[in-house]
This record gives sequence, C-alpha cells and structure tokens, in this order.
Amino acid sequence: MFRKLLFTDMLKMTCSLLFLLSPVLIFSQSNTIMGTVSQKSTGTPLPGVNVIVKGTSTGTTTDFDGHYTLDVSSSSAILQFSYVGFKTQEIPINGQQQIDVSLEDDTASLDEVVVVGYGTQSREEVTGALSSIKADDIVTEGSSTVERSLQGKVAGVQVESAGGNPGSGVRILIRGTGSLGNNNPLYIVDGVQVDNINNLAPTDIASMDILKDASAAAIYGSRAANGVVLITTKSGKSGVNKIDFNAYYGVQKITTKLDVLNASEWATVSNAAHNNAGLSTLDIAQNPSSLGAGTNWQDAIYEVAPMQSYNLSASGGGDNYTYSLSGGYLDQDGIVKETGYDRSNLRLKSTLTKGIFTIGETVILSSENWSNMADGWGGQGGNPVGSAPKMIPVFDIYNPDAVGGYGGAYGPVVNVANPVAQLNLETSEYNSKKAILNAFAEVSILDGLEYKLNVGYTNTTGYTYTYTYPYEVGTLFTNADADLYESRTETQYSLLEHTLTYDKTFGKSKVRALVGYTYQNTKYRSLSGSKSGMPEGVEVLDAGTTNVAAGSNAWENALISYFGRLIYSYDDRYVVTGIIRRDGSSRFGSDNRYGNFPSIAFAWNASNEDFFESISPVLSDAKLRLSYGVLGNQEFADYRYSPAINLNANYVVGQDQHLWPGAIQTAFATPNIKWETSKTFNVGTDLGFLNRKLRVIADYFIKKNTDIILQVPIPQSTGASGDSPYINAGEITNKGFEVSLTYGDVAGDFTYDISGSFSMVDNKVGKLGTGSQQIFGGQPTHHGASATVTQAGLPVGAFYLIETDGIFNSQEEVNTHSVNGDLIQPNAAPGDIRFVDYNNDGQIDQNDRQYLGSPTPDFSFGFGGNFTWKGFDMNLYFQGTSGNKIYNGLRQDLEGMNLEYNYAKSTLNAWTPENTNTSIPRAIINDPNQNSQTSDRFLEDGSYLRFKTLQIGYTLSDDILETLSIAKLRFYVSADNIFTITGYKGYNPDLGRSGSVLDRGVDFGHIAYPLSRTILGGLQLSF
Amino acid sequence: MKKVIYPLMLMLCLTSCSEDLEQVNPNVVTQENFWQTENDILSGFAATYKVLRDVNNGYWGVRGVELTNGRGDDFFIRNDVSDLYQLSTFTNTPTTGTPSSMFTGFYTAIFRTNQIIENTPDADISEDLKTQFIAEAKFLRALNYFHLAINFGSVSIITTVPQTREDYFIAKSSEEEVWVQVEEDLKAAVAGLPVSYPSEWVGRATKGAAIGYLGKAYLYQQKWAMAEEQFAQLAGVAGESVAPFNYDLLADYGDNFIAGNDNNQESLFEIQNQNVGGTEPWAGENANESQGVTTAQEFAPTEAGGWFEAFPTNKMFEAFQQEKTVSGDFDPRMYASIVWDYPEAMYYNIPFSDYTSVFGEKSRIRKYQNWWQDDEGIWISEINEKALRYADVLLMYAEAITMQGRAAEAYPLVNRIRNRADLADLPLGYSQDEMMAEIRHQRMVEFFREGLRFYDLKRWGLLEQEITNSDKTGREYFDPAKHDYFPIPQDEINTNPEIEQNPNW
Repeated sequence: MFRKLLFTDMLKMTCSLLFLLSPVLIFSQSNTIMGTVSQKSTGTPLPGVNVIVKGTSTGTTTDFDGHYTLDVSSSSAILQFSYVGFKTQEIPINGQQQIDVSLEDDTASLDEVVVVGYGTQSREEVTGALSSIKADDIVTEGSSTVERSLQGKVAGVQVESAGGNPGSGVRILIRGTGSLGNNNPLYIVDGVQVDNINNLAPTDIASMDILKDASAAAIYGSRAANGVVLITTKSGKSGVNKIDFNAYYGVQKITTKLDVLNASEWATVSNAAHNNAGLSTLDIAQNPSSLGAGTNWQDAIYEVAPMQSYNLSASGGGDNYTYSLSGGYLDQDGIVKETGYDRSNLRLKSTLTKGIFTIGETVILSSENWSNMADGWGGQGGNPVGSAPKMIPVFDIYNPDAVGGYGGAYGPVVNVANPVAQLNLETSEYNSKKAILNAFAEVSILDGLEYKLNVGYTNTTGYTYTYTYPYEVGTLFTNADADLYESRTETQYSLLEHTLTYDKTFGKSKVRALVGYTYQNTKYRSLSGSKSGMPEGVEVLDAGTTNVAAGSNAWENALISYFGRLIYSYDDRYVVTGIIRRDGSSRFGSDNRYGNFPSIAFAWNASNEDFFESISPVLSDAKLRLSYGVLGNQEFADYRYSPAINLNANYVVGQDQHLWPGAIQTAFATPNIKWETSKTFNVGTDLGFLNRKLRVIADYFIKKNTDIILQVPIPQSTGASGDSPYINAGEITNKGFEVSLTYGDVAGDFTYDISGSFSMVDNKVGKLGTGSQQIFGGQPTHHGASATVTQAGLPVGAFYLIETDGIFNSQEEVNTHSVNGDLIQPNAAPGDIRFVDYNNDGQIDQNDRQYLGSPTPDFSFGFGGNFTWKGFDMNLYFQGTSGNKIYNGLRQDLEGMNLEYNYAKSTLNAWTPENTNTSIPRAIINDPNQNSQTSDRFLEDGSYLRFKTLQIGYTLSDDILETLSIAKLRFYVSADNIFTITGYKGYNPDLGRSGSVLDRGVDFGHIAYPLSRTILGGLQLSF
Repeated sequence: MKKVIYPLMLMLCLTSCSEDLEQVNPNVVTQENFWQTENDILSGFAATYKVLRDVNNGYWGVRGVELTNGRGDDFFIRNDVSDLYQLSTFTNTPTTGTPSSMFTGFYTAIFRTNQIIENTPDADISEDLKTQFIAEAKFLRALNYFHLAINFGSVSIITTVPQTREDYFIAKSSEEEVWVQVEEDLKAAVAGLPVSYPSEWVGRATKGAAIGYLGKAYLYQQKWAMAEEQFAQLAGVAGESVAPFNYDLLADYGDNFIAGNDNNQESLFEIQNQNVGGTEPWAGENANESQGVTTAQEFAPTEAGGWFEAFPTNKMFEAFQQEKTVSGDFDPRMYASIVWDYPEAMYYNIPFSDYTSVFGEKSRIRKYQNWWQDDEGIWISEINEKALRYADVLLMYAEAITMQGRAAEAYPLVNRIRNRADLADLPLGYSQDEMMAEIRHQRMVEFFREGLRFYDLKRWGLLEQEITNSDKTGREYFDPAKHDYFPIPQDEINTNPEIEQNPNW
C-alpha cells in the first residue's frame, strides 16, 4: 500500500483533509468578552494563556500584555483559563463583558515535560542525561535548517557546519567522537526515524529533546549509541483555533575572502620562484608592472544573495480531536553565484479520540531543490570555490571566441579551471522529495494499560541532473560535446512498532512499565543514465548520440528489536529506570546477529525530602542522577560479513577488440564481525536556586566504545587495500563534563533570561587494531601527505606532522643542521624551512612526524539571553570553541610557491637575503627542500568566539491589534554570523567539511563553501 | 484489498520478519556460486588483465607510462601533477602517490592471479584447460613480480589468498628471491600456454610472450646464456622467425604505434585499449569505465586540448640525429617517435612551426599520440600499448650474445633493427664494448616512450652518468644510492608492521 502512494496523491489527500477541517476555523459572531490575565503572586500579566469556552472549540490566547478578547455565543457559558505552571480556573460568564483573572502558581506542575522516547516524563522523573529545547528557544530566522539554530545552545552537543552552501546541513556530535565510523545521532520525528532533519521547517517544531547518555537513549537501542534527537512537531490544542503566518526576507554576504595576489604581484613572486630555481620564467609573467591588478577571481564568483521564507499554519481542536496543518516555502540564493536552494513543506498532524481508541498521524511532505556548483572539472583547482583563489589573475574570465564564451588558463601552469566558467557551463541540480508518514492507534485496555500500534513509512526520492555544455576554457579544459547525467534514487524506510504500557500508582509508589517490539526495514535503489552529444537547447537523454552509459544498484537492511522498560518511583523522591533490549541486525552473520543491551538509572529528588524545606528558599530544587547503560552500534556498510565477487572489472579482448566482462573478489570479508558496544556511566544533577530563577543542569560522563567497527587499512600488498575489511578494531573513551545555566527574572516591565552552556570532552583512543596500528587521514591538499593519525593513546584524528623550526638564514645554518657531518637537509639553501629530525636518523621523512595537537576543543561554549521590555524583545547568542587545532590545507596550497597557480598575499613577504625576518620561506618553484610539504607550518589555532545571532523584535500593542482584529503581530530584524573573533586564517574556523571523523580538523580548501553573514527582517502574525 | 492486507502482514511480523535479517547483496555474485565454470575463470582473467591498464594503478595506464618513462634521461615531466614532477626530478618521497599506486596495482593483480590459481583446480572444466588457465595466471603473476623487482627491488612475495587476518602482513623477500619467483612462474607459463588463440581471444598471454619475458628476466639478472636460450626459441641467428612462432618486424616501424595495427606480427604481448564498455576513462572498476586510456590526451600539446605533461629531452632529440639513413634523411624512428621543426612538419593538423616552445624543448612526443587528428577527441585513446615487441627480443638476444663475448654473432640481429630504419649495415670488427655501445644506442632510439630506458640504464650501471650528462630537469637531485629503486610506499609501511623500508629511504 505505502509504496504505491505517490507524492501527488499525498498532497491531494492532505488538501482534502484540510477541507474537512476547515469548518472549525469559522466561528459565529455574538457578544464579545475582554479581560486581562495576570499572575497572582506577582501581578504581572501573563501572555499565552489559553482561554476557551468550556465544552466547545471556541477559544483564544492572551497577548503579550495578558489581554484577551473572545466572542461567545451564549452568555451562560463558562470560560476556562489554563496555562502551563498555573492552576486552571473556570469562571462562568453570567453576562459579564469584562473578566479579569489572576492565576495561581501550580508548583506541582511547574516542571517541564520532556519527551523520553515512547512517552513523556516530567523533569522530576527523569533519570538520564537529556537536554530539551522548546520552540521559543529555536531562533531560526536566518538559519534555513533547524539544526543550525542549535549551535552552542545545548551542553554536550557540538554542532559544526557542513559547509556554507545553501541547504547544507550540519554535523552534530553528541558527547564527542565515540566511534570511528558514523557519529551521527539518531533523529526521530514524531516517532519515525529519519536520516536528517534538514527538510523540516524550523517553525514546525514544538520541541527537541536530546538524549545524551545510554540510559536515556537505550530505549532507541541499536542506532542510539551516538545520542538521540527527538523532534516533536507542533500539535493543535483543543479549543484554541488559530492561524499563524511567518515571513522573512534577508540578504547573505560572504564573511571572509582570502587575501591572494593580484596579477602584477603574482608575476613578481612567480618570477622570483623560477629565478631561484634556475628555471626560465613563465611567458605570462613577463613585465609584472604592466599586468596591473588583473582578474579578482573571488569577486567574480561571490555575490550578495537574497533569501526569503514564508510559513502559514492552522491549528486547533475540539473535545475529541486536535489538528495542526502548516505549509511553508523557503528560497535561498547562495553567496556563490548560480547556487541556491529552495524548499516547500506541507505538514499535517492530528489526533482523534473515540471511546477507548485514539488514532493519530503525522504527515510531512517536503520537496527540496539544490542548485549546486560543479564538483570540479578534473585538474587541480577543485570546485569553483577552491579554484577561485588559485586561479592566476593574469587570465581573463571571458573569451568571446572560445566555445562556451569563457577564458581560462593556458601555458605551462597547473590545470586550474576558470571558476566562473565552471559555474556557468555546468548545471548541477539535485531534487529530493521526502514523505514522512506515521500513523498510530492506541487502545486503553484496562485502567493504566495501553496498547499502541505505530506504523511509519518514509519515502525519499532523489533526482540528480548534471548538464555540461560544450566548452573550451583556456587551453587546458575542453569538452567537445554536451553531456547529460541523470539519476534517480529511492529510499524506503518502513517501521512497525507494537508497545504495551502500564502506568499505575499504588499509594506512594508509581510504576510505569513498557514492553515493545520494533521492525525496521530500509530499501534503496538507484537508476542512472548518461549520454553526450545533445544538440544545443535539447537537454534530454533521448537526444544524446554518444557515450551511452546506464547503471543501477540496490541495498536493503533490516533491524528487529525487543525491549522493555520499567520506571519505578517512590514518593516523588526516588526513581529507578531499568531498560533491557535485544537487537538483531542484518549487517552481521547469523552467529553475531543479535546483541543484548541493558541499562539502569537512578534519580533522587532531594528537594522532596522533608529536611530540605529549611533551605528551599535558596536551593529550591535538587536532584541527583546516576546511570549506566550499554548500547549497540551497527552503523557500517551492509553485507560485509560474506565475501563477494565484484562485477564489471572489465577488459578488452579479441582481434575486434570487444569488451571482456570481468568479475573477481576485490575485498576481504569479516565473517565474525559483531556489534560495537558503547558503555556510558553518567552522574548528573539538576538544581534550582532562588525559587527556580537560576537553574543548573550538570553532568559528568564516561563513555567507552569497545569493539569499534572500523575499516582498518590493510597493506597494499594484500591487493585488496582499496576497500579494507571492517573489523572490531579497538576502544575509544570519551570523558566529559557539561553544564547549562539559566537565570530568568522579571523586573517591572523588563523580563529577561540569560543562559549559557559549557562542555568539555576528552577523547582518547584506548586500543586500535594490532596495538601499534596507525590510521592516517585528513589529506589537506590535492597531493599532500596526510595530516592526522588515529592510534592508541591519542585523540581521534590527532594532528601528526613534521615539526618545523624556522628558516635557515645562512648556508652556515644549513651546514650545522647535521648528524656526524652529514647534512640532515642536503637540498636546503638559505631561505628554506628547517625541519625537526624527530627520530634523529639524519634525514627528514614521514618517520619524523609527531603528535602536535588535537582537533577536539578543550571546551566549547555558548551564551546568550532573551530580553523583553514592553513590546520590544531582543535575543542574542554567542558561541565558540577553545583549544582545538586546524590544519589549513588551502594555505598549504597558497603559500607553497611550488606550483604554477596563484599565491597568498603573504608570499610577498617571502624570505630573501635582504628580508630574513619572516616566516615565509624563499620562493622556489621546484621546492627541492619540500618547504611546502605537509608540516606544522600550516597547523593553526582553531579557537573562536562568534557573535552568532542577534534579533530585535517589536510586538504591536493590543489597542492597535484590536482595530485590526488580529491576535498577535510582531516585526523583527535579525542577523546571523555577525562576527567571529579568531586567529584562524582560513575562511571559517567552524570547518565546512563533512565526511570522515579522521578528517575533522583538516580544512581542505579544495571543497569548502564559506559561511555567510545574514541580515533579515520578518514578521509573525497570528489570528 | 491490498491496502488492508499490507498492514495486517506487518502486524504478523512479530513472528515472521526475522527472516529479513538474512540479506544477500543484490549487486554482486556470492563467492559460493563462483569459480565453477570456464566463464567464471575467464571473467577472473578479465579482472586481472585489466589492472595492467588501470588509469591510476596500471603499469600501462596513463600514470604507469608517466612513471616508467618519467625518470629517464630521454624524458621530462612538467611541474603540473606534483607527484609526477617529483619522481621525474628525483625529489620523490615514500608519500609520492604514483609509485604507491603502481605498487597497489601490482599486488592487486597478484591477489587476483592467486585467486585464479587457487580456485581453478576445483572448477568444473577439463584438466587441460585447468593447466592452461593456471599457466596464464602464472604469466600475469610473474609480469607483476617482474615490475616489482625492477621498481622496488626487495618486496613481499605472496602466492596464496589470505585466509585469516594474520595473512595480510607479509615480510619482504630479497630481490633475488623475487626473481626466482618470476622465473618459476614464467617456466610454468611457457609449459602451459598455447602458441596462439582463436581470433576472439587474441590479446591474452601466449607461449611466445612467456618465453620472451623469461629471457628478459634472465637478461635483467645478467644470466646471459640462459637468456640466449630463451630468445633462440623465438628468433633465429639472423633474426628470422622460428616455428611454431611467427614473429617478425613490421616493415614500417611507425605502424607499431597506430591503432589500426593493434595485435600485429611484431607484438609478443600488448595491452588492449578500446573505447568500449562505459564512457568514463576515470570511472574505476565499474560499468561506466571506458576501456581506453587518457595518456595521449595528457601528452598532447595545449593547442590540441592536451595537458603537455611530458616532453623528450634535448638529449633524446640529439640521439635521434646521431645517424642518418642511407638516403641521408633522418631516422624514420625519429619521425615516428617525435615531432620537431622540420619542413612541412605537421602535428595535430597544425604546422609544427606554429607551436611555441614552452620550456626550450626542441621536440614533442608523437609516438602513441593520435597526432594526425585535430585533437585527442574525447580524451580516450585506443592505441594498444606494446608491452613486448619482437624488436626488443632481437636487441636483447643480441645483447645476451655480445655479453658472452660473441659480438660477431650479434651483427645480423642488430642489422635487422638498423635496416628497418634505413640505416646501413654495421661496419665489421666491433669489439664487445663497441657492439654494446651500438646496442645501447639502438635501444634508446628504438624504444623511446616505451618505458624501458631508465631500467636499461640501471642494469647497465649507467644511470648516474647518463642522467647527469643530460639536460633533464632535476638531474642534480639524482642520488644513485636512492633512486635506483622507489621507496616502499608510506601507506604500506603504515599498514604492514612486517615490512621494512628500502635502504637509504
């Protein structure tokens, strides 16, 4: 059934549901009641209080000043005032026109409700480590995806950008790098697991709950070892029918460009580099002074780019049902010309209760379009962003005589492609349509006993379209015929879940029990085709004539889990949670397929003890939490336990030279591969001071991953090193401390809250492979040696480099750098880099590498605040890291002066006999001393402090709104990435590199897409 | 109705879905079902031969051609791809990528031949066919160990398929032991391989190829008499063909390097290049991979859309002119191998005089280029790379004889090579040294860009002298203690605790 549902069908279905629900949006006219709701203890007005006519769907919420206006048809009706943290009041109208209410604090319910997986709990009951973010905290205006807005906000959660290109996601690391494979957390949206949450509209999210320790995440089992992000989308509220509209418009601009040489400067440096090598200078570098500035290639590809977003939602409900429907559109141009992203969303969530049954669903449909830049046209410049700083400024952007119309590099220079030509002569589009469907049925069988069936289905289709025009770009890049590549992929995820819950209170004891079963299946299939030779203007494969290719591939995997959870609490003072689960995965052979994963957690609410009353005015809440749990990880490739014969290792044979199809084993299998396990011990405390004005959540944890599943590189001499087997390779430990603080108060018209988070993670590899195993990674440039090592005793992806020791200023210094009279650097001359012969063997090579820093920050932090005064509100946020190192690969390219492309401005200060007070070695194009090799010369401090968000808003006062008959109207302006204080010389210390954790601290300038600064204005309207 | 049944089926999953945990990869064949038929083994061979022309790891792929030629005194590579520039200027290190790729390629092919050798005995085919297949696999294994020996010296010898993880880590054997392995495999290949194949299988290893390589292996070890014994099976004392073989020189030297003359009479073994299969020469081992090579595009001039990565040295240009033909013209091998500014010289349909010299070079590469076209088209060249030519057999035969003090007997062999190039017969009375000097010169001129020069100089002990006296960029960095061999690649050192680096690296 599910697989037959097409996107359009679902759209139709959703639209017709909207129609069915539309009558409830219309309410009849009659007498109007007004009033103000305030807090009884302080007298301050309360915004957002629900006011409904009891027993009907009619209702409203109070505005910022606590005012409400409501049309009521019957003068005998009863008004119900409810607000989280306050006791609900009911007041009969009795013909009154004005009803002012003051609500009493309900301390018992003041605790926030958090989602814990298969249910919710009050904060008081929580035994594990989790962080919660509510809709109001997600200031996403200016961030196109939800995850970006998390940066720096949650203690223990590190959010790094995965590039600044529009529509790109982020890399989220919860509690450090646990595994060497996949470190992505598990995302659950309204009960359905998804790969990422980029496709959600930020305005659709009601709350995000991040489960950090094993006991909290255990209920999600096998995919939860890296933590779980639970997303709850917005639901309607019974009796509160409302329509919200949000819109913003803004512009984005690149924050940093690289300082590279102009044409005449480049020629000067290039000529010096050739002269020093005794080689003839380049023709294009003759007469430097006559060349002027030349082309500024970075200016040629960047622009100020607009973005806009619109969201419309309707929500509400009646006695037996709730609904929430929303749609949105985001359109974002990229700061690199010709790139962009747009997204359309439609979401429906509703529930219906009838008797003992509750039935509900969530439908999320999205369509996303990316206009990407070319991946790079071969050669050595990389994509347009990588090519722009390397492109020699002597070359021209355009050449009307060339096929395609663009100029480019010619002569004996490195084959870097004109970035403007790459952007314009290759169209690279990607579309992703995703449908997340989830439906559940709940039955209350007996008092406290409920059965729930949950069925989920997610369908993601991807469509790639890459069209390359015929071109001659300079003399190094030609494409005779137009090329077209198209591919479609489909990923289908099915979830079936049975759970049985039993909640019962016996005197002071409370029991919540859960048993469950889940079945998950993911299927993938792709189909692709390509041809060349389409006539101009015809962009379909049918029109192609040559280079015909087609392909398809597929995979499937399944997971089956049985689990149980028991939460026992006594007198709201002691809480114990125990979880046991058994997971089976298709990725393991039959002997190792299942793993058992238990966890236990304990919480003590000290503030509920009698002895606590004396100190409660100062320390109002105190809770201690302890937990220990084991989780399994199976995040690696499918089918790796059985050896396979790979197809299409083809050759040619016969006098007629026909294709000879080949097949052979190309990789080794690991029949005994088993579950990776992650054991976490957590101790934490939740504290509230001064009547909960100050709240502190702090946790210390030790997380040890054992049997980590990893592709440990095997020798090239095996003949199968291209795809090393996965093995259970070793052990990684993360120890960390994280704390978040919030202080909020009201002073007259002024309310404020200030919050901060702080995390420290110490990451260390315990064991790896054979013991002395070293895994190298982090190649920083097109050709350079690796920059990182992962080995026992060091952090994951540690920088492992040859150390430099300044510059030789004289031949005498070169000569002194020797062992027993033999020069350590025989090819060196004055002006070259002095390398440290770390192993004292008299020569400089890869054996001289040493540990020189970690990509993991000593600590990361975020702080900010929300301030409101009368109609004004302000939100600001800062975040940053401290103590991490970054390897600047792009600087290695641009300061190398060994290759024929453009260089960094700093090379003007290269060493010469007259200019010895410099850190830049002499310019020499054949680089006999390997000054440009991978070394700590390019390792930099990656600490930074970023003013990430500033938003200032104004909400119109009620008297104006009344005349417009709307409930709320707020205008705001917002800025994102306002400034960054850092010593890092690359584009951005928050690296835009996705991929292997072994590469985490390496800035591979070839592919990075710089971050943008965004300024925008928007409005939020409710009625 | 289906709409109702599907959820019901899902509900029943509680008991029946656990079968879904048994998943079989839909993209590959399982090993249990393979290595049974003749066709299975043949497809294993395709996968083994193909490594020879792999774009990154193949000895006759573009990088391989650049590696084998790039270090010679006859050839230089410009500063574009820094790995290539490093090896061409003797500034390479264990992390330089290209030698590392070749090392990977050799062992990839060896792993594949070992699979064939281990699995063939259990296949459902005749005993004769088994013998032939094992001989063919041993030929390919020997070829790869041959290249390991001449490029890396002492390396690990692996002749079985690893069964456990411990089997991945193998220590080095001496270079002598590697040569023994080469000889043993080639002897088995000579015994089991057919003299020729039916037309649809032309291009696979033959008995003649195995004999030629066995002779070459002996020659590289200076086992002159044993080398002579092998070459004598292929060529008579006057250089004529010997039954059952039918090898001969093509009348026109240049015909060897044109796609239309692939698999010709002069060829004992060659690498098959054709633009069939997929369309992408860089795709790697998958259906999209074109079976042609990009070498010609990389060497073509910028004016023809090429990347002009390599040039003949001026020393090579002079060597071609050392002797004129009987009619006073340049050596026809010079016309076929390079292009320079002679009257009416055309190169990619542009007069050579219109080209500007980039680095002061006087000539450019013509051999294996599609230089009569406007450009290198879609960058895929279909000219087969000739791995072992009859001309090489004749000159090696002559060398083996000369080095045994019988220079006089080498005359007819050397004169066959000379006569085809319109050069006069050699004057009589050459000493052994004089004859060797002539053979060395003929080899330099005959085999330009065929990847032999550096290795010839090495076995003659002339590397330092000839590189130093050339105009090759980077000659000052040549260190005979190091550059006779490549270092063991850093990636192998990093992953194999049993391996040791080569001396002086």
